[in-house]
Amino acid sequence: MTLTDPRDALAEQSNFIGYLVGLAGLARVVHALAGDGQSSEVSRSDVPRDSDDFVHVLLGLASLGEAIERLADSAKAPQVQPNPPVESPPPASTTMRWLR
Amino acid sequence: MNPEVLIGMLAELERIRELTLNLIERETPRLLPAPPDEACGTERTVFDLLLGARRAVLGNPAAARGLHDLLVAEGRRYANTPDGARLRDGLVASEAVENLRRVWETLSLNVLDGPAAPNAAPDAWADLLADAVIGHGLDDSILARLRPEGFA
Repeated sequence: MTLTDPRDALAEQSNFIGYLVGLAGLARVVHALAGDGQSSEVSRSDVPRDSDDFVHVLLGLASLGEAIERLADSAKAPQVQPNPPVESPPPASTTMRWLR
Repeated sequence: MNPEVLIGMLAELERIRELTLNLIERETPRLLPAPPDEACGTERTVFDLLLGARRAVLGNPAAARGLHDLLVAEGRRYANTPDGARLRDGLVASEAVENLRRVWETLSLNVLDGPAAPNAAPDAWADLLADAVIGHGLDDSILARLRPEGFA
């Protein structure tokens, strides 16, 4: 197989949705680190710090995760659900359509 | 020269790069620490994961820096939104983030920070490898006394 000889089977092996789900999961970890909704379980520093590159990397991950969850939301827009499960992969036909 | 030959050359360059990285790791044991004694199960998995992340960063400095810069830029943009600002404040005040920062700095050895030419490896990466390879065998206890506090 070469780049000029693509095969349909590659689309079925694609784990693109898996990447998106992984990023969305990392974004949720970032929210957990910040103590969103569970501030009593996350210890807080009394010393105020500046947000540096490391914090901005975490924010970047959180932003990507939100964008991905919005994608999942928009796909389910007709059915109004406050927290759609992002773990459920779409049908294989969707994956294949994206790859083409 | 057809595309297949060019791709073959790229694959061969990648193999040489991997072998060079293996050699550097073997010559500088501090970059490839032995697994902790009696480590098994989750602890061993985490150890391997951390070593894998270090190798990914040290072995692909330009790509890692590019990804790092993209995430920083997106993070700065997000921090300008109300949700992002709220999350930023939570992260800045979190002790868990400080712990994670310590893990990341130990892992990456800070090679992604500092100046870097566009699409090139950061200067800190070359400095680190030069220190690790050339400085092997020096009595670091003497150098440590000459090093101002706070300097790596």
